[in-house]
Amino acid sequence: MKLTRRNFLAWAGIAATGAIACDVFDDELKVQSPALIPEDLVSGRDTWYATYDASVPGGQGLLVRVMEGRAKKVRGNPRFPTNQGKQSPAADAILQSLYHPDRIAGPMLRTGPRGSGQYRPITWEEALNRFNAAVNERGQGMALITGTRCAGYATICKAFADAFGGSHLRYDAMDDAAYRAAVNKVTGVGRVPYHDIANAEALVSFGSDFLSTWGNPTAYGVAYGKFRSKGHRGRHYHFGARYSMTAANADKWVPIAPGSEGYAAMALAWGVAESHPESPWVQAVTGEEGPGALRDFMPDLTASILQIPDAVLDGESPNEFFKHLAHDYAAHGGLVIGGGGEAGAYSNGPFNASASLLLNYVLGNVGHEGGMLPDPGSPIASAPDNAAITTLTDWQRIAGDIASGATGLVVIHNADPVYGLPNGVGLGNALENESVAVISASPFMDETTVMADLLIPDRTALEDWGDDAPEPAPGHRVYGVQQPVVNPLADLDPRSFPDVLLSSAADLGRGDTMPAASYEELIRANVDELGADFTDALKNGGWWDDRMVGAASTPSSGLLDEIAGMAAPPQMEGTGNFQLLPFAHNTILDGRNAHLPWAQNAPDPLTTVAWQTWVEINEKQGREELGLREGDVVEISTSAGSIQALVYLNPGAPPNIAAVPMGGGRRAGSEYATGRDERESGNVMSILAVSANDSGGLTWSGNRCTITPTGDSMAVSKMEGGYTSREIGEHPAEQVFKTVSEGGH
Amino acid sequence: MPNASYEHKWGMVVDLDKCTGCQGCVIACQAENNIPINTKDYFLQRRAYEWIRIERYWEGEYPNVKARFMPVLCQHCENAPCEPVCPVYATYHNEEGLNVQVYNRCVGTRYCINNCPYQVRMFNYWHPNWPARLENQLNPDVTVRSRGITEKCTFCVQRIRRGELKVESQGGQRLNDDTIAAGNYDPACVQACPTNALMFGDLSEDRQPSPSAIKPYFDDVNAHPGHGEHDRETRGYRLLEEMNTRPSVIYLKKVDPYPLKGGH
Repeated sequence: MKLTRRNFLAWAGIAATGAIACDVFDDELKVQSPALIPEDLVSGRDTWYATYDASVPGGQGLLVRVMEGRAKKVRGNPRFPTNQGKQSPAADAILQSLYHPDRIAGPMLRTGPRGSGQYRPITWEEALNRFNAAVNERGQGMALITGTRCAGYATICKAFADAFGGSHLRYDAMDDAAYRAAVNKVTGVGRVPYHDIANAEALVSFGSDFLSTWGNPTAYGVAYGKFRSKGHRGRHYHFGARYSMTAANADKWVPIAPGSEGYAAMALAWGVAESHPESPWVQAVTGEEGPGALRDFMPDLTASILQIPDAVLDGESPNEFFKHLAHDYAAHGGLVIGGGGEAGAYSNGPFNASASLLLNYVLGNVGHEGGMLPDPGSPIASAPDNAAITTLTDWQRIAGDIASGATGLVVIHNADPVYGLPNGVGLGNALENESVAVISASPFMDETTVMADLLIPDRTALEDWGDDAPEPAPGHRVYGVQQPVVNPLADLDPRSFPDVLLSSAADLGRGDTMPAASYEELIRANVDELGADFTDALKNGGWWDDRMVGAASTPSSGLLDEIAGMAAPPQMEGTGNFQLLPFAHNTILDGRNAHLPWAQNAPDPLTTVAWQTWVEINEKQGREELGLREGDVVEISTSAGSIQALVYLNPGAPPNIAAVPMGGGRRAGSEYATGRDERESGNVMSILAVSANDSGGLTWSGNRCTITPTGDSMAVSKMEGGYTSREIGEHPAEQVFKTVSEGGH
Repeated sequence: MPNASYEHKWGMVVDLDKCTGCQGCVIACQAENNIPINTKDYFLQRRAYEWIRIERYWEGEYPNVKARFMPVLCQHCENAPCEPVCPVYATYHNEEGLNVQVYNRCVGTRYCINNCPYQVRMFNYWHPNWPARLENQLNPDVTVRSRGITEKCTFCVQRIRRGELKVESQGGQRLNDDTIAAGNYDPACVQACPTNALMFGDLSEDRQPSPSAIKPYFDDVNAHPGHGEHDRETRGYRLLEEMNTRPSVIYLKKVDPYPLKGGH
């Protein structure tokens, strides 16, 4: 047997008690002296390792400080081309994932009823035998459900599923299907573009919360800092229905009706065409018809769809308002970002996304510095990319297959679709079908994993090899390489999931269909294929090109007509006075970080609430019309169900909008995520109607709801107000937070 | 011990025009400085520990509304109101301009907390507690503070000392903006901040071969104190300037090209 440090210690423990000493002696001869295992040496010095973290939107390059075999701190890798030495607010929590008290310690077998969470430990030998038997017997039609990581990881998963006649499904709770489809249509590339905010002269965004959770918020944050640092400070307009972090940071927020982002983008395109008809970019998009091609989107005609408040128009007609804006932006080479995220999650999401992308072509701002940079393609061209993310339509079919037994085996890794998909999809109920074998490789318990018969816990990111092709890439190809920087602790016995797949395929005689014998070997081969040195790739945390490669900067002919033909106001699901707008939490994201205490205890930037689920309601409407106070417990009911949440009266929230963060209401998993009162912890995704737009994506922004006070109330756990009795809070805000109207040093 | 060869005076600039409120600094500080997990109860009791916090101010109301984000940390005041009130000299000003808290001297009177106008000093109401395994992450360079004492931002003094040791004592070079950034000696919040809204540097006058990028802001504010604010060439100002605490943190005013009507 191959001895690692971990089982050396286990054997040493047996030797100390005098049990089966001869076996110990026999094996101990093969053991490398622990004095030569570098990570365990007490040197008093720290070592920094470069690695890659795929757990945050867009991924990030990290440096990890390791001391005496323990990871102590992470920081952004200054060399990595996306986050450039900076890090996501959730980055440090990767350490808590590594040392989490609620990790699944080793392989386990279910002993109680399915969903009970009752398991007993088993050996890896037994676990792998059971895994192999399940794949051998039920592999035909197997559903291998994973997260969205690309490159070698996706290659292995797809090869494994294909080898046994199953399918590889890729789950993303923040489904951006409409945006991806639009990107494909408009730029002709399957991967999402990068927006060169740092070099943009002006910026206009539609819906997407790119400073918090959309795209790569850390990379865009770095770029935003540069955008604000230039001698000629660029201005930023944001169009959106929710007062998001991006809306709050924009120089001007233009509130629009939910789902009207596409009309706003087309209105701006009309304004640009009207004010600059001679522009070759305008002519390229509008063709012979000229600005008249956009006449249907004249803002005066679409005003009833846009519903921009008079106070924002400030005496101008919608036409004048957009013309002024268009003049400013066209004159300054404005960059357009957005159309995805919440803007794409309506029935008309594909139109919203396509119109936002098209506007960059109208402004002539594609494929060059300061513009939108179409993706240069995955560095690992043979690997499945994110265009293959599974859509709602497919999830409905798969749930049906599991319920009927047509799918006999479900293997889950790095995905929790039972939590994140609407209850109406029925995946949780389908998994109650005892004739279907369910195996989870999650290192943590969650709503999907608790349905598993067999647990084969994976290593966490700092203990394992990994790779990814981060998206959006900054105009050139990037390959992220994750390396194990520490060994698992002695009381944990996880095993790399991709390696489990590779060894299982080999055991079952399908090794020749797999891309490599181990995940590390595949990463080495990928680096080799890129013409790079593996040691350099480890030192740098990956490989990247230095050439900007992008798609054509002119739109295909007929694109405007095609997009104009998609225009339609959004159709909302259900009835009620309020529009329900779920949004990804700044640090908990879609719920994937709910088990991490640092992600939970980071106050929400706008409300400063931590640990609870809240609903943001316009302060004036809530107080005066509904008689609500902060902390009142309300029932949020859609056509598909209801949850409870605590009221936060938000001065920035538009009337009749109910914004609720994702990530609450966990019913299985870590104690940091579960066990809370239902009044303060609800899963907003569970009550969404099962409805898809033309891209197949869930219309998670497109639900109407009612807000009903329960008469109950709870204290809101928040940072705000903690200092009101003291000096700084006694000062008027303007004496503490100061502004100037013009830029400068 | 500070390096005797070079004088330092550490300071920070916070550009309010670049802070997006993302909380990156808050979590990086928590990880670096062994700050306990802020449970829900800590928030409910108004006793959450954050050596740096993001204050969020509302201005106006829908549809003309602005949310403002302002990082607030220990201002390391030259005239620190917290220092003279400590009966046991647990807080004092060191020769590098840092307002220092000596945990072993602190007896928990909380006079310093009461006297700090910025409310950046935290009292340890509980024993520090990390669940099994999570304590493996604790930073060996930073003390885990016990119950009954006060703690606060140190400008990550452990990183400064490491830089002084490696760059100045061993390398024979003076710490400057470049060597600080290259060696990861910036405070954790500064290093993490995606937009570079936080900047750190040395303000000392003597033997400074290349002045820190933040120094002109201090020079400008110092040259036009109090009512001379309108004469400043930069956006710099100090928090609660009228108190004359002379913080080592300068804020740069937010640029707001579309101020609210009736707003400031």
